[in-house]
Amino acid sequence: MTSNYTVMVVTLVIWIGIFSYLVILDRKTKRLEGKK
Amino acid sequence: MWWKVILFLIMVWVIVAAFAYPAPQQQIGDASRIFYFHVPQAWVAVLAFCFSLVGSVNYLKKRNLVDDDRARVAAELGTLFCILATVTGSIFAKVTWHSFWNWDPRETSIFILLLIYGAYFALRSAIDGPEKRARLAAVYAIFAFVTMPFLIFVVPRVLPSLHPSDSIVGESGKITMSGETAMIFFPSLAAFTILFIWIYRLGLRVSRRQRELVEEAMR
Repeated sequence: MTSNYTVMVVTLVIWIGIFSYLVILDRKTKRLEGKK
Repeated sequence: MWWKVILFLIMVWVIVAAFAYPAPQQQIGDASRIFYFHVPQAWVAVLAFCFSLVGSVNYLKKRNLVDDDRARVAAELGTLFCILATVTGSIFAKVTWHSFWNWDPRETSIFILLLIYGAYFALRSAIDGPEKRARLAAVYAIFAFVTMPFLIFVVPRVLPSLHPSDSIVGESGKITMSGETAMIFFPSLAAFTILFIWIYRLGLRVSRRQRELVEEAMR
């Protein structure tokens, strides 16, 4: 059961990483579009 | 922005529930939890290849390079999610069948599908002119898509396979998953679909900006 929670935490960290990366990329793209 | 918050929360729910609730297939054990991620990834791959088909057909009809971008970005994401589904499937295979790769009909057909879409990118990179590249890639993408339903839905069902086939719908056509499993599986399906659409739109915006910069530089 403990290993399940370890995998859960690792997966959550990966998800938070992917989500944050996409949000930053989205903002940067918006900034680039605004520079037209 | 609100839908991004919803996506974030749905995915957090899926991750927490997938590991906190009992495994969806008790006879397989904890390895069956991968079902909540593997199946939505495969679904998104199929959806992306459908988008790629639509973009390719539209390009051949209208000859607008934006449609070529749509087809390319969708094919890229389809390949990415197809690789993810293959990797998660391999992890499941290692735990249940003691080998990462068994040349099971489903594994073989996904491998062929990856080769077909790999060739799509090889074709694109081998052609210089944007119009010629878009035209040939669109024709190839239509042929590539035709093989997809056969490889994903027909071959694994016709040939004997180790792959579990009654996780969602049984042989009688009735839904076999429990309410608890459905409560995690369908939000996962929705979250992966929203995630795909987000990355797809982001990819299109980057492509459009790239094209604008090239046009500005050429002026």
